[in-house]
Amino acid sequence: MSEAAIAVLVLLGFGVMLVRRRSLATLLVAAQAMLLGAAALSLAGDRPTAFSVAAIILLTRAVALPMLLVFTRRRTPEPYLVTPATTVVVRLLVATVVALVAVAAIPPLGLGDPAAEHGSVALLCLGIAIVVMRRPALLQVLGILVAENGVYLLAISVPGGLPSLIELGVLFDLVLVVTVAAAFTHKIHAEVGTGDTDLLRGLRD
Amino acid sequence: MTDATPALIAAVLAVPLGAALLVWLMPSPRAADRLNLIASILTAALALALAVVGLAAAPGVAARGSWFVLDAAGGVFLALIAVVGFASAAMSPFYLRHAGRSWFTARRSHAWYYAAFNLFWVALLALPLAGNLALAWLLIEATTAASALLVAFSGKRSALEAGWKYVVLTTLGLAVALLGIVVLFVAAGPDGSGLGRLDWRALSLHAGLPEQATLVAFMLILVGLASKIGWAPVHNWLPDAHSEAPPPVSAMLSAALLPTVLLIAWRTKLALEPALGQSAVQELFIGFGLVSLAVAIPFLWRSLPWKRLLAYSSLEHMGILALGIGFGTPLAIAGVVVHVAGHGVAKALGFYTAIPLARQDPGTAERAPRGLARASAPTATAMSVSLFSLSGLPPSPLFVSEVMILLGGMDAGLIAVSSVAAVLFALGFLGLAHALLEGLMGERRGPRLRPSRSARAIGVLSGAAVLALLALTVAAYVLPGSDIVAALTGSGT
Repeated sequence: MSEAAIAVLVLLGFGVMLVRRRSLATLLVAAQAMLLGAAALSLAGDRPTAFSVAAIILLTRAVALPMLLVFTRRRTPEPYLVTPATTVVVRLLVATVVALVAVAAIPPLGLGDPAAEHGSVALLCLGIAIVVMRRPALLQVLGILVAENGVYLLAISVPGGLPSLIELGVLFDLVLVVTVAAAFTHKIHAEVGTGDTDLLRGLRD
Repeated sequence: MTDATPALIAAVLAVPLGAALLVWLMPSPRAADRLNLIASILTAALALALAVVGLAAAPGVAARGSWFVLDAAGGVFLALIAVVGFASAAMSPFYLRHAGRSWFTARRSHAWYYAAFNLFWVALLALPLAGNLALAWLLIEATTAASALLVAFSGKRSALEAGWKYVVLTTLGLAVALLGIVVLFVAAGPDGSGLGRLDWRALSLHAGLPEQATLVAFMLILVGLASKIGWAPVHNWLPDAHSEAPPPVSAMLSAALLPTVLLIAWRTKLALEPALGQSAVQELFIGFGLVSLAVAIPFLWRSLPWKRLLAYSSLEHMGILALGIGFGTPLAIAGVVVHVAGHGVAKALGFYTAIPLARQDPGTAERAPRGLARASAPTATAMSVSLFSLSGLPPSPLFVSEVMILLGGMDAGLIAVSSVAAVLFALGFLGLAHALLEGLMGERRGPRLRPSRSARAIGVLSGAAVLALLALTVAAYVLPGSDIVAALTGSGT
């Protein structure tokens, strides 16, 4: 995957950290998955099994899961946008520092493709930062997807690719977890009246 | 290996899978209760038979296939998951009968509960059999989806918070572990074809794993798995999920899930130790062990609601197991085996005690129980057996196992670490012993608690647990030097 494409992937991850609208954030994650899927299809080339697996993953990550999240967003209408815990400047600063520190701290991963390695680690850490810093439940699910997209970037950069069984197994688990998380999002909204997870802070010692 | 072993493995996994579907179709809660109990007896019997096959083959491997391996370690954990799974299935009707509101409608709540329970159980049963790191990861992630719904089963705000934390934090942790697995796959290079590169045996026999990439992979995998094992400092979900889940599910989480994920970390350690050397992997395990103990102990000294106290005790015991695995000497490993089994029995009984406790004295969901000796004999007995064992008082098997782990650490030449661990063990003991005394003898206002069916059931279960714990204490004396320990120190995988 080209360095420019990897840069776009990371910028899309930054976008999820910054935007306030859940619909726009979902679109950014779908675009990220679409870009990764297209790269996987192109890398699969003339290997029919790898191509089929890449196509299934693209359709699931870039179409089915975003549609599930769009459906979840429609079932959990917010009367007003959830106020972010921090300003956009602070979020941008934190995201930048997290991504840069992670990239600098992780030694070479052995792929021989520094751009893919750095992009993968940056996206994983951005995903974690999104979960920590964003309050709406749906944005936290999108944070998980950004982190998973980071791992997928590394997976498609492996020479010869990962075995299909692993790729499909990971996809199956991702669908399971996102479906459960979407069910939680709906239930939290029904119980609290909003998807703001900041209101779920009753368990303390 | 017998020809019947693969068929037995298939049966162990097929029965709970089939039960998950059938029980979901049951028209009434009572029918779901009955079907689940029958299926759980069958599942547990088959899993115990498989465990015996695995243990009997020690120090060798009973069976190995394209995706599975049945060895002594698998046998130990299969037996644990079978026993705890069956006991949880048997105690579930007592919880469900008085559960009140839930995530699901009253008519369908039993069907959903048992369906998720069986899916969780089947993923757990498959985990010790996984012959491959990638497959093990997939199964661990699958346990998250099934068990998260169970954690939030009550549908209360606090349960939703606990379930949400559990899903989000463990999924992120497992994403980190997956990154490590991809790195390891690359490091393993072209040796082995496809999925086979990540077989436990292929990894341990690999002659040319590059040290730096393998070390990075190992650290990512261990840190990721730590979030699921509940090791500090990535344990935030653990006290909440254990305290908010239905008690039979808390028992499964604490007594079966955490140690079984620990087994995967252990297998990864054994597989990568030849490439990394002993000290690098040892330091990570010992570090997680000491930090987990240090974080857990202040909470064990506080007056906490019953299930929350047990949750922090899980953190403490996962720390003890990490130390034992880190020390890695045969004596420490024998201690780990006894500790896994003893902790499983005592902790599961502790969580089941929460069922009659919640029925008889609902206030204990918010505060520590007090003066139970004068209020309810069966509940007090169960609490005594559980806390007596978990605190590590002799003749509990956990006393013997903790001594074995400490001596194993000294055997390994880690005198300072063992000394610090001994102090932490003692502090943990004092905290739980204090909770036991307060729970039994503390000042209590209010009438004697009403007898209930669940209290009678917990009385029977306490008797069985005492027998099992005493048997484990005896087993602890014969385990060092046995073929089982030889298998668990590495030759079996």
